[in-house]
Amino acid sequence: MDFRQTTLDNGLVVLAEMNGDAASMAMGFFVRTGSRDETEDVAGVSHFLEHMMFKGTAARSASDINRELDDLGATYNASTSEENTYYYAAALPEHQDLLVDLLCDMLRPALRRDDFDVEKNVIIDEIARYEDLPHFKTFEKTLATYFRGHPLGNSVLGNNESIRAMTLEQMREYFQRRYSPGNIVLVAAGNLDFDGFVDLVADRCGGWQAFDVGRDLPPAPGLTDTVVMTDTNVVRQHIGVMSPAPSLQDDERYAAHVAATIIGGSTNSRLFYALVDPAIADMASMTYDGMDGTGGFLSYLSCDPHRAGEVMEIFRGELGKFMDAGPTDNELTAAKNQQAASWTLGSEMPMGRLMRIGFNWMYRRQHVPLDETIDRLLAVTGEEVLALVRTHDLLAASVFALGPIEEL
Amino acid sequence: MPQTDFVKELPNGLVLLGHRMDHVASASMTGRLPIGSSHDPVGNEGAAAVGAEWWVRGAGDRDTRQLNEALDMLGCRHSESPGAEMMNFSAAQLARCLPDVMAIAADVVRRPRLDDENFAPSRDLAIQDLACLEDNPAHKVTIMTHERYMPFPLGRILYGSVESLKALTAECTREHLLGRLSPRGAIMAVAGRIDWQEFCDLAERHFGDWSADAPPPLETLPAKGGFEHVQKDSAQTHICLAHKSVPASDRRFEAARLAVTILSGGMSSRLFTEVREKRGLAYHVSTSHSKVKDYAGLFTYAATVPAKAQETLEVTVGELRRLGEGIEQEELDRAKTQLKSAVVMSGDSTASRSMMLANNWRLLGRIKTLDEMTDDIDGVTVEDILEYLAEFPARDFTAVVIGPEPLDMAAIQ
Repeated sequence: MDFRQTTLDNGLVVLAEMNGDAASMAMGFFVRTGSRDETEDVAGVSHFLEHMMFKGTAARSASDINRELDDLGATYNASTSEENTYYYAAALPEHQDLLVDLLCDMLRPALRRDDFDVEKNVIIDEIARYEDLPHFKTFEKTLATYFRGHPLGNSVLGNNESIRAMTLEQMREYFQRRYSPGNIVLVAAGNLDFDGFVDLVADRCGGWQAFDVGRDLPPAPGLTDTVVMTDTNVVRQHIGVMSPAPSLQDDERYAAHVAATIIGGSTNSRLFYALVDPAIADMASMTYDGMDGTGGFLSYLSCDPHRAGEVMEIFRGELGKFMDAGPTDNELTAAKNQQAASWTLGSEMPMGRLMRIGFNWMYRRQHVPLDETIDRLLAVTGEEVLALVRTHDLLAASVFALGPIEEL
Repeated sequence: MPQTDFVKELPNGLVLLGHRMDHVASASMTGRLPIGSSHDPVGNEGAAAVGAEWWVRGAGDRDTRQLNEALDMLGCRHSESPGAEMMNFSAAQLARCLPDVMAIAADVVRRPRLDDENFAPSRDLAIQDLACLEDNPAHKVTIMTHERYMPFPLGRILYGSVESLKALTAECTREHLLGRLSPRGAIMAVAGRIDWQEFCDLAERHFGDWSADAPPPLETLPAKGGFEHVQKDSAQTHICLAHKSVPASDRRFEAARLAVTILSGGMSSRLFTEVREKRGLAYHVSTSHSKVKDYAGLFTYAATVPAKAQETLEVTVGELRRLGEGIEQEELDRAKTQLKSAVVMSGDSTASRSMMLANNWRLLGRIKTLDEMTDDIDGVTVEDILEYLAEFPARDFTAVVIGPEPLDMAAIQ
């Protein structure tokens, strides 16, 4: 892999990892902004703005953008999280210039009033869509419980009231406050011509005005609350659990990945054998959710409502055992091999490479080749994992439950 | 160009399919066994779904833990799932681990333990999976529509019912599963950094001496059809419609696929433009083709807040019908570019390529190279699509609605 990078005068960083054997090229803008950067009165603006980026620019209407993306045969989407908003597309290498021209233009949206009014309805329907998915809602509310009072507890979608009340002027103000070139990184991966890429990007984005963008990074409160939301329309009992974990800037993140994989990452995990294998729960998983300046271990459990207490007891018992003795040698090796293979396979598609490079930069402003990342992962020891879970108490957790039960 | 796509049928009937990709480090496998939920015995519906859970709880010399650990040690990402016509297995790993994974796969396929001890939890998980559907109305509405639309029992819900699952015993389930387990009708596809001859040698070594009679074919009964409303105090009204189309083996299939792409292929597609972009009616609306071998349908799903559900239904059906009134050459060209581009880009993914090979064989009885796929797409004209749409118009819908209030279905008849 041939890695290249440059920075435009206005601060826009351009990164690319070239692979001449790939069938496609992917590119994406990663913006360091999300629901954690919102104030309460504009809850959901980051995500709403992401939708509006497809609604036209000074030179293009919404249907122009949609038509051009499809004319290129591109695979494209955008996504908003608590911390990032990113816009990405993959296409055949022969369409590189057209795709660059289009995506660069999209990042300077016209934000027209008619489009804003129609799209509000779509956002409100999207909120309703997730309301019907208790599994999704549990993840969101678990973060809100654990981070209550901290910006990371903000909902990405916002709520019906905040979306209805939002004005176009508020959205413009947010855009002008967050979308500085210095707060954005442009990444490309796969079969592409880097020099041509940079020339065109400089031409299209070089005029974007730079300004200072900050982010509040208050320490996470690490709350240990339990919230039970009773809803008898929900049939299963959904439970989310979050406890402290290292941030994505922390070298301990590798040990955190390994710990989460062993505890709840696959069909060979502790939670799987304790809960799913005997059919006490239909889902029992843990992931490491690293963030900017903080992080969490996020677990999800789903079971028959009347077994929720038993499930929590077994779950806590497994975490306690792991904190006492750490992983076995076999568990450690299996988890590392599994994680390494997953990263390797995920990087075979240009889109997978793009995401890895983009997020590496967003959180650490550095490029680390995949091989080095995997070497570091494979070097994680059992002692490191044990030390990690002893300094990040897995039982000092917040719990959110959604379903028929009234108490947990 | 050296050959990149391969087919070999072993004397016992097992079909091996391969696609060589030299620029990747991985090799992905897709396995299919001729044990589908459609074959579940009457009164024992859900047997295949329980089977998919039970199947990987120990094989050969290994118990559940030893099996899972061995696969994780090899960095193998695997999954097992029941399907209407076949049981699906997939495994993705670095190509150098393929020989070891193949040895384990042979144990899993040929020597599953299916022991009494692991039966009850497998069945209990299927019962829970059935309950989970209630918390995912978008998925449930699609499954219910398949059940009404497809000839019985092709669309029958995988999990059966709580009663039929509870009626299953270890003995009867084991007897049913092993009775259908055969290399005849089984498929093993691989894509990635492989040497085809080495792969065939491995397959011969592990599967060459496997033999069993072909399982009996499926007999079907006419579909139930009709409309159904399921009352639920949900935030959205979920709508799924089905109407007739052509199966993958039909000469008009590529025309049908392009029609679906024009309707629902990207953000410039007709449904997205008319339902979401212009009217802001729904976040999600889409049409897709069923993937059963001999019987086809187009399934259209839309969901929106209850107050807008009737309008969404009518606008959506209006677009399905308007397609038959005319298509711009530009729209067809765009749809072709989208489909062809997706074909070429799939050349970077070992997992999607191995799945494509297995699907090709299951639906067509042969594999298509990436070039053949793009040539087939290129061959379709606007007239071909209009002819297909005239023969398969958007009417006589089968439909299911989940939401607080029923919709007026007379409006789409």
